[in-house]
Amino acid sequence: MPTKTINKLGELERAVMDQVWALGESGEPSVSVRQVHEGLLRGRDLAYTTVMTVMGRLADAGLLVKERGSGRAYLYAAAGTREELTASSMLGQLQGLPSADRRAAMLHFLGDATAEEIADLKAALAEVEKRHGRSNGGRS
Amino acid sequence: MLAALAVVLTAVAPRAMARQEVFRRSPRAALLGWQAVSLAAVVSAVSAAPLAVHALALGGAGWAAWAAVPALAFSGLVLGRLLWSGHLVGTRLRAARREHRVLVDALGEAVDDEVRVLAHPTPTAYCLPGLRRRVVLTEGTLRALPGEELDAVLAHERAHLRARHDLVLEFFTVLHQSAPSRLQAPEALREVRLLVEVLADRAARRRTGPVPLARALVALAGASHPETALAATADVSATRTRMALLAEDDAPGWLAPVVYAFAAGVLAAPLALLGLALGSMGA
Ligand SMILES: [Zn+2]
Repeated sequence: MPTKTINKLGELERAVMDQVWALGESGEPSVSVRQVHEGLLRGRDLAYTTVMTVMGRLADAGLLVKERGSGRAYLYAAAGTREELTASSMLGQLQGLPSADRRAAMLHFLGDATAEEIADLKAALAEVEKRHGRSNGGRS
Repeated sequence: MLAALAVVLTAVAPRAMARQEVFRRSPRAALLGWQAVSLAAVVSAVSAAPLAVHALALGGAGWAAWAAVPALAFSGLVLGRLLWSGHLVGTRLRAARREHRVLVDALGEAVDDEVRVLAHPTPTAYCLPGLRRRVVLTEGTLRALPGEELDAVLAHERAHLRARHDLVLEFFTVLHQSAPSRLQAPEALREVRLLVEVLADRAARRRTGPVPLARALVALAGASHPETALAATADVSATRTRMALLAEDDAPGWLAPVVYAFAAGVLAAPLALLGLALGSMGA
């Protein structure tokens, strides 16, 4: 299954979103799996069901909105632009979720330190630089 | 006696161990020590009741046979609680990570197989452990960190992913959640989380030296974008501790062997009691 190995890096998630956004710009905000599949087919071997699975996952993650179309098939629309979705996912991740979910991502480098705390951290940094200054040239 | 050991190992030992700050300078050994204490507590808790009943039976108490059923039920309860908690924690974590990975794959720019960069001004760095692991950065991070500091941050995250620190944390979270709430020791969980960070910091320090990592810690601690009012995400005191540890040398060489011996002893205690009990049964 070449499609499986292709998508190991999650490129398909990105390609599908790009396709949905592009179709939206050309005046089709709601699209079917078939439309996206056809758009993506150019030059690659890609199963319809793979695209359907990926679009289902994107809908679960809140990036696509699933709507009932006129026929039996579902239609999908982007839940926002890339910028909007990135901003809302950062916000959601950073403050909306309970701490257990933030831990799921092992988030450790994000800060909301007060000025006092930053001054304290800078003092600690000075200590590190003083002790190890020789071995490390610094950023200049 | 096993029951007493279980209580001591669950409630008392963690509090005492969390206070031994010198362990932080030997994080690998310290983590092993924590794991030994936890495992010993589990063994004690599961085997205590049936063994007590067994001892009574050997002592000739005729009614002991009747106590066997509730005793086994108690063990079953302890074990069941552990497994159930493990199942819940594991399922929840994996679902949350899967969903988040879809999100960063769809929205982020792929730098290489692992690293994704989100178009967002808030500097942050984190990793999504698992089979399809990811390191997530933002454009804000790339802007805030010069090359060497970025290297340090990446080395830190990759150390988490490679060493599967998520599984270590998951193990302790499960034990923590399945312990009776009056015996839970939150400082144990906090200390283990810190040790995992210190381990990853060591990996980064080996790669770039301590200064770039220390600078990155400061840069990221203070750089949150005003647009996003972030609610109490970072544990600043933990960051402060990590900074202090970056400046310090490794623990003296004798410490790790001492901790390993302690770990072996702690694990051996309930097993020895268990062996004694079973031995007397054979006699
Ligand atoms: Zn970390």
